[in-house]
Amino acid sequence: MDETFDISEETRDGVSIVRAAGEIDIATAPALRGELEATIGRRPDVVVVDLLGVTFMDSTALGVLVGALKGCREAGCSMRIVVSDARVLKVFEITGLTELFSIFSALDEAVQG
Amino acid sequence: MSDLVTLSIPVSADLLVLARLTAATVASRAGFDVEEIEDLRLAVDELCISLVNEGGGGRLELEFIRDAGLIEVSCTHQATSDDSVVDAVSDPSLEGLSARILDALVDAHGRDNRSGYERAWLRKQRARQQA
Repeated sequence: MDETFDISEETRDGVSIVRAAGEIDIATAPALRGELEATIGRRPDVVVVDLLGVTFMDSTALGVLVGALKGCREAGCSMRIVVSDARVLKVFEITGLTELFSIFSALDEAVQG
Repeated sequence: MSDLVTLSIPVSADLLVLARLTAATVASRAGFDVEEIEDLRLAVDELCISLVNEGGGGRLELEFIRDAGLIEVSCTHQATSDDSVVDAVSDPSLEGLSARILDALVDAHGRDNRSGYERAWLRKQRARQQA
């Protein structure tokens, strides 16, 4: 596992939270994809992707998140993203994907919906 | 007088980070501010993966040319086979994302062919003028 990347999963108040930290790029995105697929496969009502600890993200990561959103829709669950780092938020903004995702700036807000 | 920095790395997902690190260092030494450095890091990353995602092993040859407040980056994929060594995680329908990111972050970018190899390039001018 890349030393600059970490991923974990927890459940809080019935919400599944997938937390990524570090840099999500072509090397680490497969791990994120795997964790999201496993979580979505359990068919929770809500999946929150916590990107508060992410310091870098590229189009590969966006592709994984879009794929996860599709998976959530097929599984009948909703997906929310938490991000506060301006560098990471900028990637969503310049690609127009802020229109596609439900984005929150704080984890508690995303969990409560 | 311009400075040339070259980087040659195998096409390996875990080594592409070196391209970002080099971009950040060159931009920092060229006097780019923090946001511009981050922009160039991401842009160079997108430049590399646009070539890597097309498949093939081999090497990526990067050239960073620093000329006053201008940085030009060129990335050539010297592929050795048709077998991809990188796990394609992205939906092919999202290929336009990389180009959209480059459009927003740099002043110019493009693709061409150099000596039979696919090449992607970008150009970014420092926004502020140094005294």
